[in-house]
Amino acid sequence: MEIEDKQIDAEDISALIKKQGRRWDNLKVSISVFMANKTAVAGLLIFLVFIADALIVQFFPQIIGIKSPNLLVPNFMDPVPLPPSPQHPLGTTYPGIDLLDGIVKAIRIDLAYSFFVVAVGASVGAIVGIISAWAGGIWDEIVMRLTDIVFSIPYLILALAVGFILGRSLWHMSIALALTWWPLYARYARSQTLSAKELTYIEAAKAGGVSSTKIMFKHILPNVLPPIFIQISLDLGSIVVIFSTLAFIGFIPNANIPELGYLTSLGLNYVQTAPWAVLFPGLVITIFALAVNLLGDGLRDVIDPRRRS
Amino acid sequence: MSAILQVRELKQQFYTRQGIYKALNGIELTLNKGEVFGIAGESGSGKSTLGLTIMGLLPRNASVLAGSVLFDGIDVVAPIREYASKSDHKFSFRKNERIIKKLNKDLAGVRGKKISMVFQDPMTSLNPVLEVGYQIAETMVFHQPNVLAMRRLARAKARRADLEEAIRVIKSTQGNEIAIERFFEEKGLKGLEEQVLSIWRRPDLSDARKEKMILSLHSERLGAFESKVLRMVQEKGSTQGWFFKLPFISRFARSALLKEGYRKAVELLSALEIPNAEKIVRMHPHELSGGMRQRVVIAIALANNPEVVIMDEPTSALDVTVQAQILDLVKHLKTKFNTSFIFISHDLSVLAEVCDRIGIMYGGRLVEVAKTKELFESPAHPYTKMLIAAIPTLEEKEIQVIGGSVPDMRFPPSGCMFHPRCPYAMDICRQMAPDMIDVSEGHGAACFLYGQKRASE
Amino acid sequence: MIIAARRLSKHFQIKGTGIIGGGATLKAVDDVNIDISERSVVGVVGESGSGKSTLGRLLLALLKPTSGQVLFNIPDDILAEYDSAIESQDFKRARQIEQQYSIYVKRGNELKKMRREMGIVFQDPYSSLDPRMKVMDIVIEPMVSTGYKKGDEAKSMCMRLLDEVGLPREFAFRYPHELSGGQRQRVALARAISTLPKFLVLDEPTSALDVSVQAQILYLLKEIKNTFNISMLLITHNIAVVAYLADHVNVMYAGKLMESGPKREVILSPTHPYTIALISAVPRKLTKEERIVLKGDPPNLVSPPAGCRFHPRCPYAFNLCGWTSDEVATDLEYLLQGKYYAVFGGEIEVITKDSLSLLVKGIDSKKLSNVIEAEKDSTKSLNSISNIQDSEEGVLLNLTKFQSPGLYNVEKGKKVSCLLYSPSILVSSKENNQSTKQRVGL
Repeated sequence: MEIEDKQIDAEDISALIKKQGRRWDNLKVSISVFMANKTAVAGLLIFLVFIADALIVQFFPQIIGIKSPNLLVPNFMDPVPLPPSPQHPLGTTYPGIDLLDGIVKAIRIDLAYSFFVVAVGASVGAIVGIISAWAGGIWDEIVMRLTDIVFSIPYLILALAVGFILGRSLWHMSIALALTWWPLYARYARSQTLSAKELTYIEAAKAGGVSSTKIMFKHILPNVLPPIFIQISLDLGSIVVIFSTLAFIGFIPNANIPELGYLTSLGLNYVQTAPWAVLFPGLVITIFALAVNLLGDGLRDVIDPRRRS
Repeated sequence: MSAILQVRELKQQFYTRQGIYKALNGIELTLNKGEVFGIAGESGSGKSTLGLTIMGLLPRNASVLAGSVLFDGIDVVAPIREYASKSDHKFSFRKNERIIKKLNKDLAGVRGKKISMVFQDPMTSLNPVLEVGYQIAETMVFHQPNVLAMRRLARAKARRADLEEAIRVIKSTQGNEIAIERFFEEKGLKGLEEQVLSIWRRPDLSDARKEKMILSLHSERLGAFESKVLRMVQEKGSTQGWFFKLPFISRFARSALLKEGYRKAVELLSALEIPNAEKIVRMHPHELSGGMRQRVVIAIALANNPEVVIMDEPTSALDVTVQAQILDLVKHLKTKFNTSFIFISHDLSVLAEVCDRIGIMYGGRLVEVAKTKELFESPAHPYTKMLIAAIPTLEEKEIQVIGGSVPDMRFPPSGCMFHPRCPYAMDICRQMAPDMIDVSEGHGAACFLYGQKRASE
Repeated sequence: MIIAARRLSKHFQIKGTGIIGGGATLKAVDDVNIDISERSVVGVVGESGSGKSTLGRLLLALLKPTSGQVLFNIPDDILAEYDSAIESQDFKRARQIEQQYSIYVKRGNELKKMRREMGIVFQDPYSSLDPRMKVMDIVIEPMVSTGYKKGDEAKSMCMRLLDEVGLPREFAFRYPHELSGGQRQRVALARAISTLPKFLVLDEPTSALDVSVQAQILYLLKEIKNTFNISMLLITHNIAVVAYLADHVNVMYAGKLMESGPKREVILSPTHPYTIALISAVPRKLTKEERIVLKGDPPNLVSPPAGCRFHPRCPYAFNLCGWTSDEVATDLEYLLQGKYYAVFGGEIEVITKDSLSLLVKGIDSKKLSNVIEAEKDSTKSLNSISNIQDSEEGVLLNLTKFQSPGLYNVEKGKKVSCLLYSPSILVSSKENNQSTKQRVGL
């Protein structure tokens, strides 16, 4: 059983590779599908603004005149919240903290911690979910029950518990959140894997002698990732809201960290006389959550019924 | 042989992200009353699109460039075609969608009633949460509530003596339809004839049992209010109008009509050779086998005695032995229901079993049309010849392979669609598209081998 | 022998509503024997629910059997030794042979080596290729995973394979969604033969394809068979495809083998009633022969019919074929409430006592006998009634104990699983069997 031996060398192959231009067609179509969805584009733009803010404050704070990115700057001389004015474009909140300054700094902090929570939650969860679904049988059952148990722990209680044990700080808060967040991804990844498992190309890989681990990483993971990315983008919004909520109810003892929820809580006592103090930080949270949701929806359109006319 | 459906010069295309997909490129088709016309073709030939276009079931990115589909005195595709010619380059999906929606509304009285369709997969064309009897009854309640009302009223009015006389008439005329119809009409009991005849024709009952069942059709009492409502339905011919929107009345009318619909569904299923129809109508689709489900779908399609039924690959999802049952059934339906069929399939051998005439489609055009026997004995078009030779049969012969592949309809070949793959291609085939040329009586092929007729651009 | 399957069974557990047990078993494949020799194409024909796809997967060790054994690449003499060891109950020797040749004991490197010798092409070209991989990667995956070839060697092998299946070399860099169904099947085929295997399973390779494409693929398969000398298992519901490619045919129904033999013999002179019906069901051009239309539906695999699984639909069923009191009761009720309603009124009750006896109330035995005599020919189940007697509760009907058909040798190298051909029935009453066959019209 011999196939006629034709001379094929590396040059032939690379010559063929060059003929590829059509690779990018794929991407072009995806982009055009996304662009057709105006709300998703709006979401993307807003999201990019937030990212830009975070990056600038991180690397070039001087450009916009930020001197201490990790601290709020109170002004005890003038603690009462002031309305928006040329010196304070968004007004100030108690005790004399410029809102624009505070919000710009807070965005970076919130984004960073939220990314952390989601990244950890998604990675841990996805791996657990995929392996559990692939293994199947009794292990799957055990892992799923464990997931259910962790799932049922309310993040608030866990956050408080962690805060009590390790001390209250943003860092500890994110750990607590990550701990409660991974089951969602485990479930999600598991259901994706279960349906991917039934696909014929997985069987073909098995028949071709590919080992289980390789199948998981080469075949299942790339097909499971896109829906997870969508879920991540949606979760970013939720996490920021939760973060802010925890900070709002006073989780952070150190009274000076720029954080959107914390900023909102500062103005609470003055909500009737100085509504902007509560409104602006709160609005920023809402806008971010909304933008990220729209973005996620837009991504979903791209990934799922992609080849629609 | 009167023509009941006519397709003239139909040109249709889809706007997709990847380009304009020219699905139909000039279809000429005539369906005669009482015949089964088969449409054969592979994927990309446009056969399913043709079926959907005839029904007017088009998505928003579909546009009819030219041609007409004449049925029941109306041109089904007229509004879409007019919009397409008006809008030209400024084709808007939204506007097209609105036009299609309006078309759907206008055709609602025709679709399901005068022309209906059977799709490939019965599992997805049936609603999984509703009983099959309900789904059959529903279409009758919508399209011909007056017939249902009439039946119910006739049963209320009939006396036992009437039915005894009817049985005598049946026996003496051996179940002659016309005699029985006339009998009931004279007695003012129109609506009973189909009930009586359906019982009489059931193969699984004894004569004595049938008589008992027929005799039980009398004096099914109706309250005064109820009979008034039903009479109104019968006169008005429908359940439209403010009267039927009133609370009690609408509910009563609907439930009474549905009940009657269930009864008629039992009759229909028996006619389709389903045993124990009374039990089956109460079941859900998933409780039935594939063959039964497809029969239910066919029952829904035939419930209102349409003039035309379009069947799109009705047996492709079924096992070979079940397929044989369904094909057998379709052959009987021709005579029983006096309907004309358009049978679309990729499987030529299936079509050979049931069709009177067959049309072969390629690249959105009909390339050959002939009576079944003649098509197989003397195929004219090169594609037809090669298609027949490519089908593996039980004899040990070598399969003829057609080189190449079906054309990408976004960039169709010039002239004759088949020329890139045709072993007989001539120069003219590259330049012009041939028209349908008569090879013999009732047998046409679109090929320059048989003449020089060119298709109009 | 490339593949020798013995007493292969696969039962699937269907989850019941109970936490413990309470489930039903779906007997997808039941006690099947198959031999595939070198350079031969064996066809397996059956409809949905026949178990043919499950069988294909069992033969590739993609599924573990509930019982039974599959030996791979076993010399004929050792196979003979194995068979006689099983028969003489020398399980020690049998196990020795299994250790060496069974496909289910291989692990690690042994398993990889075995995978090299096997390949499969699936039915659906749209889901059998990973949409995120390029054609090149898809084709070389088995080579690389089993350690057959690596790197550039594998890549150039891929190119040669693409030539072999008739695809242009640029396709190596395309993604599956850029290819048509027929092209995808060619890629699947290239992948399947990439390690130059000895054994190829083709699971409905052309069912999802157009007629002209199907012709191309079938032609290609024939070429590959001749060029590479691969043994193939061709699973299909389309007998015509088997007629074109196969040397040997097996007909399956409800998880069991119904008929087996050389292709020509099975197709030109089918023996088993199911095979006869299957062949007659193939839509044919214009022959007006009497076509046998089977009544009823494909079988329920959770509780398959007793005895011969085909008996409820068999036009030639007789008294030993597997009738149980449930079936007889249903048929009797149908007749008595339907056709014979006028004679007996509606007062009849039919009760099943156990699987082989039933009680009929409200009728006398003489009348019932007459009905049964009259309806015996059209309602096959009534033939199993061996004994009618009056009792105080009513008329007691006893049924003959059925037999399960084995696989019997018949003429021209065929084997049939049908009691009509059982030698014991033949031997015990030669005239009886002649008249049985006459009676049932064979």
